[in-house]
Amino acid sequence: MGKKKQCVAMLLAGGQGSRLSALTRNKAKPAVSFGGKYRIIDFPLSNCTNSGIDTVGVLTQYLPLVLHTYIGIGSAWDLDRNNGGVTVLPPYSETAGLRWYKGTANAIYQNLNYLKQYNPEYVLILSGDHIYKMDYSKMLAYHIDKEADVSISVIEVPWEEASRFGIMNTNVDLDIIEFEEKPKDPKSNLASMGIYIFKWPVLRTFLEMDDKNPESSNDFGKDIIPLLLEEKKKVVAYPFKGYWKDVGTVGSLWEANMDLLKEETDLDLYDRNWRIYSVNPNQPPQYIAPTAHIEESLINEGCIVEGTIKHSVLFQGVRVEEGSVIQDSVIMPNAHVGKNAVIERAIIAPGMTVEDNAVIRPSKNNDAVILYADED
Amino acid sequence: MPCSMLGIINATNEFDTFKNLTAHRSLASLPFAGRYRLIDFMLSNMVNSGITNVAIFTGKEVRSLIDHLGSGKQWDLDRKRDGLFVFSPEGTSRIERFGSFAHFAKNITYFLRSKQKYVVITNCNTIGTIDFCKILDHHMETEADITEVFHNGQSLQTYILDKSLLLSLFEQYKNQGYYTIFDVVHDKRHKFKINMYEWAGYITIIDSLQSYYQNSLDLLQPTVWKQVFTKNEPIYTKVKDEPPTQYKNAAKVTNSMIANGCIIQGEVEKSILFRSVKVGKGAVIRNSIIMQKCQIGENCILDGVILDKDVKIDNGVQLLGTRETPYLVEKGTVQKGS
Repeated sequence: MGKKKQCVAMLLAGGQGSRLSALTRNKAKPAVSFGGKYRIIDFPLSNCTNSGIDTVGVLTQYLPLVLHTYIGIGSAWDLDRNNGGVTVLPPYSETAGLRWYKGTANAIYQNLNYLKQYNPEYVLILSGDHIYKMDYSKMLAYHIDKEADVSISVIEVPWEEASRFGIMNTNVDLDIIEFEEKPKDPKSNLASMGIYIFKWPVLRTFLEMDDKNPESSNDFGKDIIPLLLEEKKKVVAYPFKGYWKDVGTVGSLWEANMDLLKEETDLDLYDRNWRIYSVNPNQPPQYIAPTAHIEESLINEGCIVEGTIKHSVLFQGVRVEEGSVIQDSVIMPNAHVGKNAVIERAIIAPGMTVEDNAVIRPSKNNDAVILYADED
Repeated sequence: MPCSMLGIINATNEFDTFKNLTAHRSLASLPFAGRYRLIDFMLSNMVNSGITNVAIFTGKEVRSLIDHLGSGKQWDLDRKRDGLFVFSPEGTSRIERFGSFAHFAKNITYFLRSKQKYVVITNCNTIGTIDFCKILDHHMETEADITEVFHNGQSLQTYILDKSLLLSLFEQYKNQGYYTIFDVVHDKRHKFKINMYEWAGYITIIDSLQSYYQNSLDLLQPTVWKQVFTKNEPIYTKVKDEPPTQYKNAAKVTNSMIANGCIIQGEVEKSILFRSVKVGKGAVIRNSIIMQKCQIGENCILDGVILDKDVKIDNGVQLLGTRETPYLVEKGTVQKGS
C-alpha cells in the first residue's frame, strides 16, 4: 500500500503510431526521437516532474522493449522514488486469461489496482503522443476551483483544421455540453488535447460502467466522455495556450523538429525553470571540423560534423563527412552520412548509413518529406 | 573475469601554477574538455577497467568535487557491494601529504574491509585512456612487487601493488623511514622488485595553466580527439540535461568542440565551449576556452582567452592573450566595455 497521493498520473504509451511508418517498426510511438536529443515521452514525463507530480503509471503495449529500457526506474526524470515514482504497466494475464488493453479506457480500467494503492483524490490521464510543455498543477488547481468531475484540456486550433480533431462544444462558462469526434461542420475550434483530470471516484465508477457495456470500444474520447455528458456530470474545458503538436505522421514529426529552428519558437527548450529531461547518452561534446559549415541548426553532443548543415536537426552520435550538404532535414541518433552526399527535406532514421555521393531529396514539385530507413 | 583491484585516486594535489583557476575548486574538479572535470578521466578509466571499488582522497577544497561526484551514480559506482568512497582530511590537522602512510592508515578500515587483492594508486590530473587490467596483467607476469607507470619516460605517479604489501608498508613505515609510496619506489636500498611499465597510448598531465590551455586545444586535433574519446571507453561525468546546441543564422563555427545548451550567433574558431555558453552577434572567439554559462556580448573579440564559469562579457569588449600566457578571466566576473 503506497502512501496516499493527491494526484496520480496515468500516461498512455501503448500506441503504435502506424502513420510514422518505419520509425515505429521496432518501437512504440512515445519512444520516437524528437528535437535532437529527446524521445516524445520525455515531454509528458518532464511535465509531470516539473508540475510536482511524482507518481506516474506508464501504460505500454505495442513493442515495449525500447520504451521499457528507456524508462528504466525513472531516474532520468527524477522519478525513481521510494514512494510513488514511475511504474511501467504492461498488459498482464490472470486466471481468466491474457487481456490486452482494448482501448485507452480499458487500459486504465485494468490498472485500477495500481490507482487503489495510492487512493488519490485526482487522476491525471495523459498520452505519450504529443510535444508540449504544460504545468499540470495549474490545470489541477482549475479543476478543483471549478469543482468539476472531469476537466479536459483544450487548445484552439485553426477553424479549417478543426474537423481533424475531437472538438469540445462549451457554454460561456467553459462547461462542455457536447463532444464531437472529427466533426464535418465544427461548431467550435476547441480541440481536446487528450489530457484529462478526473475525480478518482468518478473515474472508477465510469470505467466500471464502461467495462460492463459490451458495445463500448472502451475509449476515453468515444465512450467515456459521451457517457459522462449523458449522466450530467460536470465536465469542463481547461483552455491551454502554447505549443502543442501531435507528431503522428512523418510530415508532422519533421515539421515539429523544424519548429525548433524558428527565430521565435513557442517551444523553449532552454528554459531552466522547465527543463525537458531525457536519458543521457553520455557522449563527448560535438566536434566541428575545420571543413564544417553550420547554419540555423540544432546539434547534439557526440556529433562529428565535417560537412555543411543548413536548417537541420542532428541527434547524438551523428557523423557527417566532408563535402556532404544537409538541408531542412532531421538526422536521428547514430546515423552516419558519408562524403559528398546531398540530403534535403528528409528524416534519416536512427543508425542508418548514407553512402558517399548519395542523393536523398524529394522529386521536384513534391513537398513530401522523405523517410530514409531500412526496407524491412 | 574482472580484475580484482581497488582504485585509489589522489585528489589532494594542489599547484600554484593555475592562478585563479584553482582558487575556489580542487584541481580534481577543474572543468576540462567542454563538459568534464579532470577527475572524470581517471575515474572513468577505473570503471572501464572493471574496477568497482574506488576511494578518492581529497584535499580541503571539496565542495565542488563532492557536488560533482554525488553518490557516484554517473560512474555506476553507487553500489551495495563496494562503490565510491570519499576520504576528506580532518579539519583540524594539516593535510598529510597524499600517499603518506599516516593518511592511508587513518582509513585503514577501508583497506581491511575491501576484498580486492591488488591496489592501483593514481592521481586526478592525468588525461587519457588507460587500461589498468592490462597493466595488472603485466605486473603479475613480471612478478613485481610494485609497478610504476610511465609515459615517454615521465612517471604518471600511477602504481599497482598487492594490497597486503601496502598494508605491511603501513605498519612498518616509521622503522624503514618511508612516509609515502613514492619514498618506497624511489629508495634504492630495499629489495622490492619495481617494474617500470611504459603506457603507449595518448596521455598527458595537466599541471599548470599553460598545460591546461595547451592540452585543451590539442583535443581539437582529430588524432588526439580520437584517442581520448573512444566508443568503448566512454568518459562519464555528471549529467546536466542541457538541450542540444543551437546555431543561429549568423553562426560560423570551425575546428571547435562545443558542448550542449549553447546558443551561438557569432564566430567560433579553434575553441572549446562548455555547456550553456551564449555567443552574441558579430562576436569572434578564437583559440579560447569558454567555460559553463558564460555570456559573450555582441561584437566582442576574444583570442587566446580562458573564461572561467559564469563570466559575462559586455558588447564590444576585446580580450587578447597568447599561447604562452592565455588571458584568464575569473569566475563570475563581468568584463565591461570602455
